[in-house]
Amino acid sequence: MEGLLALSRGIDRLSEFIGKWVSWLILVSILVSAGNAIIRKVFDMSSNAWLELQWYLFGAAFMLAAAHTLKQNEHIRIDIVYGMWSRRVQHWIDLIGHLFFLMPFVLLMVYMFVPYTLHSFQSGEGSTNSGGLIVWPAKAILLVGFSLLALQGISEIIKKIAIMRGDMEDPNPFVSAHEQAELEGKALAEEVRS
Amino acid sequence: MIAFIAQNMAPIMFASLIVFLLFGYPVAFSLAATGLAFFALGVELAPFSGGSINLSWPLLWALPENFYGNRVMSNDVLLAIPFFTFMGIVLERSGMAEDLLDTVGQLFGPIRGGLAYAVIFVGALLAATTGVVAASVIAMGLISLPIMLRYGYDRRVASGVIAASGTLAQIIPPSLVLIVLADQLGRSVGDMYAGAMIPGLVLTGLYMLYILTMSIIRPNSMPALPEEARTLGKGVLSLIAALLAAGVIGYAAYRYLEPAHGANADILAGSFAVIVIYIFAVADKTFGFNAMSRLAQQVVIVLIPPLALIFLVLGTIFLGIATPTEGGAMGAVGALIMAGFKRRLTLDVIKQALTSTTRLSSFVLFILIGARVFSLTFYGVNGHLWVEHLLVSLPGGELGFLIVVNILVFVLAFFLDFFELAFIIVPLLAPAADKLGIDLVWFGVLLGVNMQTSFMHPPFGFALFYLRSVAARVPYLDRITGKQIAPVTTGQIYWGAVPFVCIQVLMIGLTIAFPQMVMHYKGKTVDPSTIEIQVPELPGMGLSPLGAPDGGSTPTQPAGTDLSQPPNFGGDQPAQPAPSTPDLSKPPSFN
Repeated sequence: MEGLLALSRGIDRLSEFIGKWVSWLILVSILVSAGNAIIRKVFDMSSNAWLELQWYLFGAAFMLAAAHTLKQNEHIRIDIVYGMWSRRVQHWIDLIGHLFFLMPFVLLMVYMFVPYTLHSFQSGEGSTNSGGLIVWPAKAILLVGFSLLALQGISEIIKKIAIMRGDMEDPNPFVSAHEQAELEGKALAEEVRS
Repeated sequence: MIAFIAQNMAPIMFASLIVFLLFGYPVAFSLAATGLAFFALGVELAPFSGGSINLSWPLLWALPENFYGNRVMSNDVLLAIPFFTFMGIVLERSGMAEDLLDTVGQLFGPIRGGLAYAVIFVGALLAATTGVVAASVIAMGLISLPIMLRYGYDRRVASGVIAASGTLAQIIPPSLVLIVLADQLGRSVGDMYAGAMIPGLVLTGLYMLYILTMSIIRPNSMPALPEEARTLGKGVLSLIAALLAAGVIGYAAYRYLEPAHGANADILAGSFAVIVIYIFAVADKTFGFNAMSRLAQQVVIVLIPPLALIFLVLGTIFLGIATPTEGGAMGAVGALIMAGFKRRLTLDVIKQALTSTTRLSSFVLFILIGARVFSLTFYGVNGHLWVEHLLVSLPGGELGFLIVVNILVFVLAFFLDFFELAFIIVPLLAPAADKLGIDLVWFGVLLGVNMQTSFMHPPFGFALFYLRSVAARVPYLDRITGKQIAPVTTGQIYWGAVPFVCIQVLMIGLTIAFPQMVMHYKGKTVDPSTIEIQVPELPGMGLSPLGAPDGGSTPTQPAGTDLSQPPNFGGDQPAQPAPSTPDLSKPPSFN
C-alpha cells in the first residue's frame, strides 16, 4: 500500500502543478481576445491564427486542469440522494464510479486520441481557416488532458481504497452543494469586509 | 425480451441516465459512461431492433472529432464562459457593488421603500455588467440588509428583494445562461442578448411595482431613511439637472452623429454624453467648484464605472465592433483596469480569480463532453425522434408544449443546475420546439427566465443560501443606533422569496403571451448601409451582424436537425436582424 500511495502522491503533485499553471492561459486568452477586437477595429486587420489562439489557450486550460479538478473533487454531482447515504456508501459509489464510469471512458479516449493526434501530426494538418494555426497541438492537448485524467483516476482509486481501509485521512469530506454555497458566501463576505 | 429492449432503447437509456445521475457520481463521467455502455449494448442489439438502432463500432470514432470540433473545443461561443466568469470575480473583488449600493441607497433612501428600489436598481445594473448571482447577493446582504433591518424594514421583504435582485444577473445580458442556451439552441448570442433585454427590464420593473404596491398596502414594512441617515445630504434637483444636461448633450450628439453613423449613433451619442457628465463631475469634485450637490457628484461618479463596463461588454456587441466572446474579454480587461484604479488589484486576486475560473470551465466543459458522448448514442438509438414524438404530440399545440416544457424545466431545476439543463435537456427540447414553429430565441429567453427562478426557489435556490451565509443568525447590536437587532431566520428568507417566485411565474406567462418582447431582436429597422460596412470588418467571426453561419465559429446545432434558418414568423421575414435596437443602447440612468 505504501508504494501505491507514493505513486498516488506523485500523480497528485503532477496534476496540481499543471492544474495551477494552466490557469494563467485563461488570462493570456482574455488579452488575446480583447486585443483581436481592438486591432480589428482600429487597424482594420484580422488574423485567423490569433482568433484560433484564443480557443487553443482555453482548450489547454480546461483540458489540462480537468485532472486537478478531479483531485479536488470539484466535478459537480447531483447530491440530492448521494447526500443522504452514509459516508461509507458514498465511498463505495465513488470507487465503483471511478472504476466503471471514469476509467473506461478516459482510457478509451486516450486509446482513440493517440492515432487521431498522430495522424494530424504526420500529415501536417493545417487549419481549415486560411492563415490559421497548425492543428496537431490542439489535438495533442486533448490527448494529454485525457491521459492526465486517466492517471488521476488511478490515484483517486488508490486513495479511495486507502481511505476505506483506514490507511489515510479523507482529503475531501462530503460537503453538499448548498453547504458549499454558504461556505463560499462566508469566505467572500470576509474578503469584502477586510 | 431482447427485441423489446432493442426497440425501446431510447426510453431505457434515458431512465438509466436518471438513475445513474442520482447515484451522485460526477455528472460529466456518468453521462459519458451511460453513453458508452449503451453504445456497446446498442451495437450488440442492433440486429434485433428492426432498424431503430443505427450504431456500429466505427461510429465511435466520431468522438475525437466531436470533442475537437466546433461543438466543444474549437467553439468560440463557449470561450465567453471563462471570460465572463473571470470578469465577474474580479468585479466582486473591486468593491464596485458596495459603492453602488451605498450611493444609490442614499439617493433612493428618502422615499418609502427606497432601499428596496436601490437594491433592485443596483441588482439590474450589476447584472448588466456581468452576471454572478453570488457576488450580487452577498454584496447586498452585507451592505443593504443591515441598513434595512436598522430602520425597520420587514425582514421578509428585505431578504426577498435581495435574493430576487441578485438573480437578475441570470437573465439580463450578458449572462452565462443566455450564452450557453444560445450555443445549445444554435442561435447567435447577439440575438439572444437582444431578445432577453426587454424581458429582463420588464422583470426589473415588476419587482419595483411589487415594492410600490407593498409600500402602499403596508407602509410600515419599508420606512424611508430618517433624516440623520442621509449622509450625502440633499441635492436631487442638482442630479436631475445633471441628467437633463446629459440628455441634451446626448441628443445633440445623436443629431450630429446620425448622418454618418446611422443606427449606431444612439450608442455613440449616449457614451459621449456619459463621458462629458463624468468629466464634469470629477472636475467639480477635484477643484471644488460646487456646481453640483455632493449627492449628484457621488451618484455620477459611482455610476460611471459600471456604465463604462456595460458599454465595453454590450455596447461593443450591438455596435458590431466585437463578438460576444470578445465583449467578454474586453469586459474582463475593463474590470482589471477598474480594480487597479481602486487599488484592489493584487496578484492574489488575479490568481484566485483564475483558479476559480479554470475550475468552473473545466467542470462545465466536461459536462458538455459527457453530454456529447451521451447524445452520440442517444441519436443512434433514435432517442431524438422519441423525445420529439413525445413532445410534439402533446395536446394544445404550441401553447401546450410551452407550458409542459416550462413546468418540466421548473421542476428539473430543483436538482440540476443550468449548465446540466442546458447541455442535457435543452438539446432534446430544441428540435421539437423548432418543429412546432417556435422561435428558438424566444424559447431560450423563456427557459432563461425559468432557470433564473430556480435560484430563488425555496428550499433549493442558491441565492437564498448565499443570503443565509451573510445574514445574521444571532441577535446583534447595531453599530449606529446601539439597539439590539433580531436575527434573520431561514424561514423569513424562504417566505420572503415566495412573492418573487410568483412574479417569476407571472413573467414566464407574460413572455409566452407577448412574444414581441423578445421578437424585436429580428430588428424593425434594417439599415443596409451599416450592414454593408460591418461585414468586411468581421471576417471569419461567427456572430457577424448577418448571423450567417461561417468558419469554425458557427453557432452549434443539435445534430440531425437543420436549425440554421430561423423559422418564418408571419409573411414578411426581415432579411437580416439588425445589430441593435435603439432602446438597448441607453444606460439605465438616462431613461
